[in-house]
Amino acid sequence: MKTAEKLNDIFRTVFENDEINICPEMTAGDIDGWDSLSHVNLILAVEEGFSIRFTERELLTFKNVGDLLRNIENKLGAAGS
Amino acid sequence: MKKNAKDIRSKAFAEPCEAMLAKKGERTLNMSANPSFIQNGQYNIGHICTRLQCDQGLSNKTALRWLGAHGERVEWTFGDLEEKSSRFANVLQKTGFSAGDVFFIFLPKIPEVFSSFLGALKARVITGTLFSNFGEDALLDRLGDAKAKGILTRKSYLKKLLRIREKLPDLKFIILTDVPEHQAEDILSMPVLMQAASPSFETPLTTPDTPSVLHYTSGSTGKPKGVLHCHRSVLIQNRTATEVLHLQPDDIFWCTADHGWVTGTSYGIIAPWSMGITQVHFGGAYDAVEWFKILVEQRVTAWYTAPTALRMLMREEPATFSQFDLSKLRHVFSVGEPLNPEVISWGKKVLGHDIYDTWWQTETGAIMITNRPGLPIKPGSMGKPLTGIEAAIVSDKGEVLADNQQGNLCLRPGWDSMFISYFQHADVYRQKFRHGWYMTGDTANRDREGYYWFRGRSDDVINTAGHLVSPFEVESALLEVEGIAESGVIGAPDDLLWEKVVAFVALRKGYEWNRSLELKARLHVSNRVSTMATPQEFKVLENIPKNKSGKIMRRVLKAKYLGTDAGDVSTLDSI
Repeated sequence: MKTAEKLNDIFRTVFENDEINICPEMTAGDIDGWDSLSHVNLILAVEEGFSIRFTERELLTFKNVGDLLRNIENKLGAAGS
Repeated sequence: MKKNAKDIRSKAFAEPCEAMLAKKGERTLNMSANPSFIQNGQYNIGHICTRLQCDQGLSNKTALRWLGAHGERVEWTFGDLEEKSSRFANVLQKTGFSAGDVFFIFLPKIPEVFSSFLGALKARVITGTLFSNFGEDALLDRLGDAKAKGILTRKSYLKKLLRIREKLPDLKFIILTDVPEHQAEDILSMPVLMQAASPSFETPLTTPDTPSVLHYTSGSTGKPKGVLHCHRSVLIQNRTATEVLHLQPDDIFWCTADHGWVTGTSYGIIAPWSMGITQVHFGGAYDAVEWFKILVEQRVTAWYTAPTALRMLMREEPATFSQFDLSKLRHVFSVGEPLNPEVISWGKKVLGHDIYDTWWQTETGAIMITNRPGLPIKPGSMGKPLTGIEAAIVSDKGEVLADNQQGNLCLRPGWDSMFISYFQHADVYRQKFRHGWYMTGDTANRDREGYYWFRGRSDDVINTAGHLVSPFEVESALLEVEGIAESGVIGAPDDLLWEKVVAFVALRKGYEWNRSLELKARLHVSNRVSTMATPQEFKVLENIPKNKSGKIMRRVLKAKYLGTDAGDVSTLDSI
């Protein structure tokens, strides 16, 4: 499964919405229920789902889904190389 | 059958309040006996906030300026608000709602919230509002308890409702704001219904005692209770908008509270519109720069927000704010949790204003004890009671305590916005009134100059970012997670949220606490109860301390968390 597809599944699980289709420009305002508290759930779910960890500094740089996805891909790439 | 149910409800909420007042002989604290906006005995909140404003020449004045997260903008005049709310009142009548039926709004902050809320009130339908992040358990508890007949929501929330629909036999209609066609006989399109509805509605004469707004609030035991108000509450909501918020006709007012919270209806809808004030509402989430842009670009003159939001702003770099000219801003108010002196000091420095902390509850319906312009601020204090509100610090035995002694914060019953019942739970309502006082559940003391100082809750309810969370609801949800055998939930001090939710869990044999189980537990609480109720911290114990009768000893858990003395533990069954 591609990283973006897996991330989409995580979004659907966290926000309990099977109609979510993520895109790089997407932000919290685009998904019902994405608030500061559910954001913590999302980050934990991403870390668990991809077996990665984010630093606090990294978390502050995520402005949209695209930033998050790029960071995940970088980490997975680094781990695989 | 339906009629009987309704009769029982009416009786249940009317009795305790009226009995209390009859004992006192009169409604002694009614300070708003003949305000000019009550005309011909019409107390209907929906009418007062729309039609009356138009009749007074404000048809073309902006009532609502709604700003979306992506720069969208919707502007409604009082004429628009009158038309849209009238259409919605007609929609409800046509779909079979009558006075006393219960209708809920389950939406994020979008313009339809405002037209439907006022429209439902015009039709004398009891109108409840729900936080849009509620999970299905939270929805089931509230909709089921209230025997809700209908709900307005959007497509993305429909799935949650459909999962519990079978357990809600009274729920006849789901209306969706964002579908172009009806989805089924009982899943209807708001745009279609609104288009077909008449734009005019003659609001029936509404007596002051007619039930109006319903907010559910959490207790430390049992399910959440529906706090029911009546249309009379507009009297004190309007009065406090003048006497506390100092609103004037040309003001631009911004209340950041969600409508799921009583502040969002009493002061984010009713109070300002009852006096023809323009309101700004933002549909996006907290964002420091975005919020300051709104204050400046919308020329906000009075701002009502929450300590958590202010504390989040305090964490920003001071340079973030230097580019903003806040010269239009006249007053800043806060509600939800006690305001730390540091925030007041920050407000003076960065906003150039005092921040006035206001204290009240869902049950009080309006501001009761408060700081306000003209009253010197003692940082950290709740301020003084509103004119006409009698407050006191009372012992458990009912004695009024002397200055500086800590005790139960109480109010003398009978103020105009006092709740008239816990919906369907008149017995619990009666328990809130003892020794001739309404027991707020807060503890406080009063100093020699008459200022009140909040000291804590007398129960286990958690106040996190201004939202009351029931430990019972969270504990129940945690027990549904595979691997968790026992749970106990407390509120612990937090620099940002005032209190954070902390969960203690004991695991079943063969289970191990790890990130995967923590994630399951977090998601379960978020999706079944709400994100606000999600524990910020988990602690694993062998057993959850309980007394001999099986009651969770949250006091002991709190002491364990804080590293303080747990006091008498002789009744504990397990430690």
